[in-house]
Formats: sequence, structure tokens, C-alpha cells
Amino acid sequence: MPGPILTERVIEAPGRPRLGSSLRELWRERGTVLAFATRSTQLKYKQSILGLGWALAQPLAFVAVFSLTLGRVADIPGTGVDYAAFALSVLVPWTFVNISVSLGAQSIVNDAGLIRKVYFPREATVVGAVLSAVVDLAAGLGLFVVLGPLLGAHVSFWWLLAPVLVLPLALLVSGITLFLAALNAYYRDVRYAVPILVQLWLYASPVAYPLGLIPHRWRGLYLVLNPLAGILDSFRRVLAVGTAPRPTTLLAGVAGSLVIAVLGYWSFKAMEPRIAEVV
Amino acid sequence: MAPAVRFDKVTKDYLRGGPSQHSLRDEAAQALRRVLVPWRRGHAGSPLTGRRALHQVSFDIEPGESVGLIGPNGSGKTTALKLLARITYPSSGRIVVRGSLGGLIEVGSSIHPELTGRENIWLAGQILGMAKTDVRRRFDEIVDFAELGHVLDTQAKLYSSGMQLRLGFSIAAHVEPNVLVIDEALAVGDAGFQARCVERMGSLVEAGTTLIFVSHDLPAVEAVCNRGIFLLDGELQVDDSTPVAIRSYLDWVDSAHQARLADATAPAPSRYLDLERVECADRDGRDRYVFQTGDDLVVRLRFRATEPIGEPHVNVGISDGRKGMLVLCTLAPSDQGRGDGAGTLDGWFTLQCTLHDLPLLPRVYQLWCSVQAQRGHADLFDWQAVGSFRMEESQEQRRDSRAVTASDGPVFVSHQWGVTRG
Repeated sequence: MPGPILTERVIEAPGRPRLGSSLRELWRERGTVLAFATRSTQLKYKQSILGLGWALAQPLAFVAVFSLTLGRVADIPGTGVDYAAFALSVLVPWTFVNISVSLGAQSIVNDAGLIRKVYFPREATVVGAVLSAVVDLAAGLGLFVVLGPLLGAHVSFWWLLAPVLVLPLALLVSGITLFLAALNAYYRDVRYAVPILVQLWLYASPVAYPLGLIPHRWRGLYLVLNPLAGILDSFRRVLAVGTAPRPTTLLAGVAGSLVIAVLGYWSFKAMEPRIAEVV
Repeated sequence: MAPAVRFDKVTKDYLRGGPSQHSLRDEAAQALRRVLVPWRRGHAGSPLTGRRALHQVSFDIEPGESVGLIGPNGSGKTTALKLLARITYPSSGRIVVRGSLGGLIEVGSSIHPELTGRENIWLAGQILGMAKTDVRRRFDEIVDFAELGHVLDTQAKLYSSGMQLRLGFSIAAHVEPNVLVIDEALAVGDAGFQARCVERMGSLVEAGTTLIFVSHDLPAVEAVCNRGIFLLDGELQVDDSTPVAIRSYLDWVDSAHQARLADATAPAPSRYLDLERVECADRDGRDRYVFQTGDDLVVRLRFRATEPIGEPHVNVGISDGRKGMLVLCTLAPSDQGRGDGAGTLDGWFTLQCTLHDLPLLPRVYQLWCSVQAQRGHADLFDWQAVGSFRMEESQEQRRDSRAVTASDGPVFVSHQWGVTRG
């Protein structure tokens, strides 16, 4: 057939995952990723009165609960800001983690019909779910801009850093979600484990309490084991306190997020070839 | 020119029967056992309960060819398409595809019920491989083809199933890949829509698209494809022009059918008569299984009588599987004054019935037989199917597009029409 030079594709027994070429393919197919992200966002509005409002209701509800219980009773030493602002600054990114992991881990199984019939890079549906949650996160940050100062957050130029912090956060969440979504295709046990894991992760992260509550000698280990801690603390410093993030804390969070993103993507690619057979 | 698709010794094993039989707990227990009991590693892994779906299959498809994959269920046709489409991966061997590949593999799956028709076109179009600009350019065409302009902003779950299928097919049919793969997608919508689908496939082929078509609808395969590949139990049986491939597939179907028939029709034991063998032959006495309209059919029935039989009634019938016989030939006792009787029979004997100028149209037919005693109508050999033969179309029938098929009416009588006015 006359026409443009056709690219040749070789299909062979799957070998080791090659992340470089996988990422290049994902970039070529970014239209598909965006289509999945768009669908995910569209679905949130279907037959729903609040729609995007639910993404805002969740952090607000948690702020109320935390303020009423921990903020008064436990008298956790804050960082010089009111507890409500202290909590909201971290609950906004935490809600993103919660929504992404909970919905994203289901995305491969939910799209089983498509996956059994059509080829696309399988991570597109997972990454699409995470991207759609980024939209919610943006709305949440907007909410903080309006509500934060009223609750006692310090307005500062450091707020501009918050959108940048979304990047390592999204990488971390993508890594975890990719791993869980692929594993869920093989073992439906994951579906029941995810809510428990997310709940544990909430308590293992400085959401309700400040990072300072962790004893000094354990803090390094804590930050390495839970990269989310470093990122959330940076969000809190930037948004609520209005100061620069602690460099080592941020570094631990970003480095850990990168490691988890690579591991998650690698494990996803290793599980991918047989997903259509088992899902 | 390099082939558009190349299968090079492709083998595919599915490892397990299904995903539902194992859980994380079993797997973890097994992994733990492997770690704790390393000396049993040699046989610790569960034996492969795998299924070989394709075995060492090789073929090339040139650009612009349209190829039909045919074979019975479970022969590996769909697996071959899934490998091509990268839905699963081969266990060994390699596949090379030149250019983009698009598929109509059960098209309804790309439609999301909660989204509107418009949203679905954007979503599915991009998932199936269209760029955003392509979707924009072909949007109206897709809508027109699916005839869904009036419900474009209605959620797809409110569509009828036919409307959903039409939408799915229409999106997929407008992707315009270099290699188009179709798996049984034509059972879509009403007759008018099906005709448009065949038309659309034809125009894609004309435009140079390479087509790979899997279907049990052999006339559709014959209409669209210029080459046929017959797969059986995961192995390539025949790779030839479509009629040749279809014929060898049908031959296999017949022989399998015959084997089943032979099992099913193992003659019910009789105290008086054993049916040893049933043969069909042509007028020169050569054994045959396939006949054409107008041929003579010689049926030979070899019996063994355990005690002498005087002047039996013998019936031979032809059935197309539906209720009732199409043809019944009766051998009556001579004392009833019709033709020659068989006389008295004992021990081994062969009854031969010649049917002249068979007026039957192409398909498989069953032979039935019974033997009754002269008086009292006692059945010596019960009325039952004892064999089969196949009619296939002659050259003239193949040329004559108006020729009716056996399913419309299996008996052909030469006829002439006339009109008288006033």
C-alpha cells in the first residue's frame, strides 16, 4: 500500500519489563490516558448532585472530626497555627491519596471488558484515574486558598510551591496504585485489603498529628519508610505555616516517591502481559 | 514488499484453566513452601494444567489481502487475533505487524453505559487508537453510520442493545487502521445495518486495508476474503484460496459429524439382523461421500441374518435432519405385485438401492433404514439413521447467483415459469 512508512511491531513472549520504552509508549498514547482521565471525571458528575463537591466534602468532614476530637482533647502541639488550618492543609492532599488509591486500584478490574478486547497500555486506565483525582486535588487546593486563611493559615508566597509538591505526590500515588491495580487483576483479595491499608496509612502519616510528634531518633527511619510523611509535612509547612519545607524532610519524601514510582511501574509491567487472561 | 502480518512459529499456552481457582492465600502458601522446603523445588510447583491454544503456527499476510480464519470453536482463531492485537502474548515464536492495527472484537465492550453517545465516541475513538483530530474529523460520519444523531446526548445505558452495538461498531469501523481484525462482529443490528457493515468492510479492503476476519458465517467469509486459513486444535491445517479452505473445513465438519453420527447411530441390536456396513457409491460403483445435484446415489446395506427371513419390507429414506423424510424408497414383497421382492434371505447379504438423478441441494443428509417382516409388521431392524452423505454445489450452481440453498427447500425440481395475462 502506498503511503507513509509503516512502523513494524514485533510481538514476542514477554521478557523483563523495559521501563524506558514503556514510558515512551505511554507518552505516545497520552491521548488514551487523557481519555480515561476525562471519562473518570465525567462519571463523577453523572447522576450526582454534589459531583466534584464530594472531593471537597471529604477533607472538610475530616477537619471537623479531627478538630472536635484531637484538636481539643488531645492537645497535640501544633506548629503555631490553629488546628483546623493545620489539619486542612494536609487533609486536602491526603484526600487525593485516598481517592486515587481506592478508585485506581479498582480500575483494571472495572475495565476488564475493555482490557479483554482492546489493546492500549494498561497503565492508561490507572494513570487516568490518578489524573482525574488530580483535578479534585486542584479544587481542594482552591478550597484551601479560600478557607485556609479563615481557619488560621498564614498566607504566604510559599503557597506557590504547593502545586509543585503535587508532582512527587502524584508519582508516589501512581506507583502504589499501579501495583495494587495489577495485583487486583490476579487476586481479588486486594479489593478488601485496600480500605484497610489506606486506613493504616492515614494513621502512619502525619495527618492528624504533626511530624514533630515522632521522636527524633525514629524520625529518619519514619521518613524513609513512609515517603508520604515527608511530602505531607512539606504541604503543611507551605500551606498552613507559610514557611519553606524542611529540606531533608522534603528530600526524603521526593526520593522515596521516585523509588516507589519506579518499583510500582516495574511490578505493573511485570504483571501486565497476563492481565487480560486473568482479569 | 514486506508482509503486513507475519506469524513465525507462534505457540500459545494458557497456563491455567481460569483465574477463579486460586487466591492470594494459596499462592502465598505455595511460595512459602517453596522457600521453606527448597529440596522439593523440583516438583513443588503445581503441574501445568495448561491448554495449548496455538501450536507452531506460521503464515504471512501481504498488505491489502483479506484473510478469513475458519475452524471449529476452540481451534485457536480468537487466540490468534488476541495475540495480533496484543491482548495476550505468545508463549514462543514471534508475530510481526506492519502499521497500525485495529479490531472489531465484540464491539459492545468499548461503550460505557453511563456516558452519552457523544462522550462514548470521544472516549472509545481514542482508546481504539484515533487521534483527537481524527475523532473530530470523522465524528459526523460515525454518528450517521450508527444512525444515532437523535440520541447523541442520551446516556448509552438508555439505548437499546442494538443501538449500543451499532454505536460500538460504527466507532470501530471508522478507526481506519492498516490492519483490521474482525471477530464475529457482523451479528450486529438489523439486516440493513449488517449489509452496511459488509459494505464498509469491502470499501476498507478496496482502500488497501489488510483484513483478518474470524467468523463461522462461511458465506460472509467467502464474500469478503480472498484467502482462507483453516485452524484445527491450534494447528494450521490449510492455507489456500477461500473456497479451498472452506471446503477442507466443511470436509472436516462432515467427517466429525459422521463420526458422531456413527456413534449415535450404532444400530440398535436386533435379534434377527445385524447391519454390518452402509456404503454410498456413484453409478460406477465407486465409494463416495460427496455428491452433486443430478448424480446417481447407490446405497449398499450389508446385513447378516441370524435366521432365514422371508420376503422382508425394506425402507431406505433420506432426511435433512428435520422431521420427516425427503425421500423414501421401499422394497416390497413380491407377492404384493410391486416389483421384485428380495426372496428369502439368510446369512450374509447386501441390499443395493440406486437412486437416480438426486434432486437434492448442497448440505449433509442422513440415510435411514428399516427392515420389517413380511407379515405382522414386526420390525426386524428398527427405523433409524444409519449413515450420511453430503451434497455440494456443482459448477453451474456456483455460477448461478439465484440458486436457492438447501435450507430454503432441499429438493430441487427443474421447473419453468409462464405468465398468462387477462
